[in-house]
Formats: sequence, C-alpha cells, structure tokens
Amino acid sequence: MGYFGNVFGGFGSLLSGMSVTLRKFSQTVIRRKAVTMQYPKELPELAPAYRSAIKLIRFEESNSHDCVACKACERICPSYCIKLSGGKVEGIKKKRVAEFEMDFALCSLCGLCLDVCPTDTLEYSKVYEEAGYNRDWRVDLLAEFRDYEEEFVAKQRVIEEKAAAEKKAKAEAAKKAKEAKKKAEADEKADNDSKEELS
Amino acid sequence: MSSDSQASEGEVYSLNMGPQHPSMHGVLRLLLDLRGEEVIRAKPVIGYSHRAHEKMAENRNTLQFLPNTSRVDYLSGMIYNLGYCQAIEKLLGIDVPERAIYIRVIVNELNRIASHLLWFGTFLLDLGGITPFLYSFDDREEILDILDQVTGSRLTYCYGRFGGVTWDVDETFLTRATAFLARIRERLHMYKQLVTDNVILRERCTGVGVVSEALAKSYGVTGPSLRASGVAYDVRKAEPYGGYDRFDFEVPVLHEGDTMARFHIRIREIEESCKIIEQAIEAIPEGEILPKKMPKRFKLPEGEYYFAVESARGHFGMYIVGDGSDIPVKLKLRTPSFSNLSAMPETLAGTMLADTIAIVGSIDVVMPEIDR
Ligand code: SF4
Ligand code: SF4
Repeated sequence: MGYFGNVFGGFGSLLSGMSVTLRKFSQTVIRRKAVTMQYPKELPELAPAYRSAIKLIRFEESNSHDCVACKACERICPSYCIKLSGGKVEGIKKKRVAEFEMDFALCSLCGLCLDVCPTDTLEYSKVYEEAGYNRDWRVDLLAEFRDYEEEFVAKQRVIEEKAAAEKKAKAEAAKKAKEAKKKAEADEKADNDSKEELS
Repeated sequence: MSSDSQASEGEVYSLNMGPQHPSMHGVLRLLLDLRGEEVIRAKPVIGYSHRAHEKMAENRNTLQFLPNTSRVDYLSGMIYNLGYCQAIEKLLGIDVPERAIYIRVIVNELNRIASHLLWFGTFLLDLGGITPFLYSFDDREEILDILDQVTGSRLTYCYGRFGGVTWDVDETFLTRATAFLARIRERLHMYKQLVTDNVILRERCTGVGVVSEALAKSYGVTGPSLRASGVAYDVRKAEPYGGYDRFDFEVPVLHEGDTMARFHIRIREIEESCKIIEQAIEAIPEGEILPKKMPKRFKLPEGEYYFAVESARGHFGMYIVGDGSDIPVKLKLRTPSFSNLSAMPETLAGTMLADTIAIVGSIDVVMPEIDR
C-alpha cells in the first residue's frame, strides 16, 4: 500500500504543479498579460532617482552651470574619474571651470560628488542607452556650455558690477548715516555743553 | 573496457567542477575526488574574483569606501551598504533620524527577499526545473524596480550615507511595496504548489547533505544554513541593530540540517521579511532622512571595533581598526559565505556527484563575497 500511496501522492503533486503552469500559460499566452517589456518599441519609465553619468546642471537664471572649479568632487571621487581645471576668468570675480572631463567607464555612481559640491551644480543624467564599441568613455561635461560661456561672463559681469555698485552705494549710505549720527551726537553734546554752561 | 571496470572497482579520479560550470554560482571551483559517482573528497578552490576590497579600504577614507560595500555581495548589496553605514554611525555616535531607520529596514528586507528569490530560482534551475526560475525572477524584478525608484540602481546600491539615506521614499514607493507584499504572499502559495510539494524535489533534497549542529558550529556557519541545523541565531535578534528590536518577527528554525530544511528556512524567511516590511510601512514617521548637522570628515577614533549585521546569507561582520584619521588602518570583512562553504568538504564527502549540486546550491554561496 505504501508503494501505491507514494505513486499516487507523487502523481498528485506533479498534477498540482502542472496546473500552476497551465494557469500561467493561459494568463500570458491566451489573455496576453505578458510581463516582458518589448524594449526598443516600448521604453522604460525612469525613476526620478535614476542614476546615470553625472552632468552639470543648466540653471535657468544664468543659462549655464555654476561650477566654481573648487575640485571638491575631484578629491572625493573614489574612482578617480573626474578631471577638471579652472580658476580666475578675465573680467569677473567668480571662478569658472575651464576643463571638466569625466570618465564614465570608471564611475561607480556613488553620488559622493553630488553630495560635496558646494554649488549643487552636479546631477545624474538620465541616459541609459550607452552601449559602445570601445572603452573610451571620457565625456567633456562642458561641451554643451562652451557656446554660452561668453554670454555668461558678460551677464555675470553686469551682475557683479551691479552688486558692486549696490554694495558701494550701501557702504556709502552706511557711512553717511554714521556721519550723520556722529554729527547728531556731537550736536547733542555741544547742546548739552552749552546747556551746562548756561546753568 | 578495462578502464571502465577499473573505475567501478574503485579507481579514484579527480574532476574539476567549475570555475566555469553552469551550476557553480559565480566562479566556484570544486576539486572532486571521485570513485565512480561517489565523492571521496571535495575541495573548494576560491579566489577567482578577488578584488582586494579590504586593501582598498586602507587607501581611501571612510566615505569613499561606501560604493565598495555593495560590490562585496552584489545580491544583498543594500544590507552590506547600510550595514557599513551603521557600523560607522555606531562608532562615531551619529544619530539616525527615525524616518531613515524605517526606510532602511524596508529596503533591507526587500533586498533580503530579492536575494532569497534569486537563490530559489537558481537552486531549482540547478536541479533541473526551469519554470520556477522564470517566476521567481519575475518577482525579483518587481523588487528591483521598487528599489530602483529610490536608489537609482538595480544591484550595486550606494543608497546609504552616514546618518541616513540619500533619497526619501514617497507614497508611490510605499504603495508599490505594499502591493508587492500581497503579490509575493500569493506567489509563495503558488511556489508551494509548484515546487515545495513536488515529489521529485522532496526525493532529491530530503536527507541529503546533512550539516549537523556540531559541524555547523565548528565551522562558523551562519544564516539560513545554520538555522536549518537547529541553532536559532540571527543577528537581528541576538544583537539588534538598526531598529530591528521594534519589529515583531520570528527566527525560523528547523533541526534536520539537510537540503530540504535549508530550502524551507529560506521560504519562511521571506514570509518573516514580509511581516517586518508590513510593520515598518505602517509605522513609518514623517521627518528628515539625514541628520541636520554632520561632520565634514568621519574620523575613526583610535582602537578596534566590531559590528555585525545579518545579511541574506548570514553574519556579516566588519572589524575596523582606527588610528584617529579618517582612513582605516584595517577593515576586515567577515563574510558569511566563506564559513558556510568551509563546512562543505566534510558535508560532501561520501555523497553522490548529482547531490553535490543540490548541496552546494542549498547553502547559497556568492563567490565575490567569499573572495572579496
Ligand atoms: S558618482 Fe562617484 S564615482 Fe561617479 S564621478 Fe561622482 S564621485 Fe566619482
Ligand atoms: S564640487 Fe561642484 S563646484 Fe566644485 S569643482 Fe566639482 S562641480 Fe565644480
């Protein structure tokens, strides 16, 4: 009996397994509830947190990035994939980056460079179709900004001049106010003195 | 003719299984001494994916080691990544905001389920069943998508930061995770029908590759493999870290110690993880995900420190030696698969070649974690 019990029990377990397979078959093949995405025809929806190669953010007000070439990202990067240089630019006080090269082949997408950037000008891009034929993945992050650099410098100069003028005006106003105050104090003192004299 | 008969009469010959063998996960190489089909001796040969993570840790500061952690074990990268953060936080006394604690628990347990699902699929694939593999990968894909929402990566997460996490979870994430729990519970029922009740699987696994409690303890086997041998040891319960003491869950234990027991333990652990996630989603508070004030550099105080977390494969420990600078003098990673694999030579001796696959598969080794 034990033998036949085993045979029937085993057969039953196989049947119940097959029923699962059949059910799934009907779901996917007959009712067309496939789980596979037909990739080139359908494109995936990327999450907001999606991480791909880093890039510089184009800010609206300046129509350019805000990198000040502080090299904090270059120092923190554990994979040594950022190379940048830059510094003073003729005509403006703000420092600007002149070369910004990033080797995506090395990047581990850790996000440390985003964290340390003092001007928050780095972000992840959302490109994902990045198969290539060679190992060279060095990207010039400034490529899309070069044409706007002159414009930016001109704009920045205006902004800085305006700021300087404002600052100067403010300083002058403050100076004037101070002088006025001093004068008033002096007057008061003189007044008091004269009053004292009188009494 | 003569060589055939000699072999059957007892000539011992050696066979290399791996490193490029379809059922040796990653690059495990087993050097087997066989007599006919019987395994006389088995010797695991490791080191094929050594990447010197421990050495790298000595040459970069504590923050820069973050991306390395998830590469040690790419199947439960989140647990490793957050475990390392927790170690440094405990060392430096950084307080983690409440919300971040709950987020960490949720993503950790999701990652654990994903790891167990992958094991489930590949283990059965080794045993010759291709259908469960497809189903379990479908489920796992859903977890990877959910985690992708907040971490931006699929496997090698770098989601943790000292003191918290990088990205806040939103309503979509929580609803998707809740929906997933309902889905996986239904699927577990289906897996039971499809796989666990299957007579062929039972015949192949029951009583095969018994790791006794004494053997497991002597080799430092941890994780599900240890719990299948009758020891109720789970770091989450034994030395609660990262807020695990707030959740109500059980540590499943079985006493058989065979391949089937290890199978059951993992399935039950998926259920327990579901319970934890459910409670965490219910109780998650609003608030910050990173502390407001953080030091710029994370300097390790002088001395030696040890901190352990429970990864999907067992006890993952970090032994850190600091000297006052922010570069560790030594960072030793104690990875569970290494000890689990060490118990294999004794377990495999005397079994049949076909069972070797089932036994080695059932302890769920991840080679990059062993080699580091
Ligand atoms: S994401 Fe990490 S590895 Fe990539 S450039 Fe930034 S710091 Fe370097
Ligand atoms: S940290 Fe930011 S501002 Fe500094 S160099 Fe890098 S991108 Fe530029």
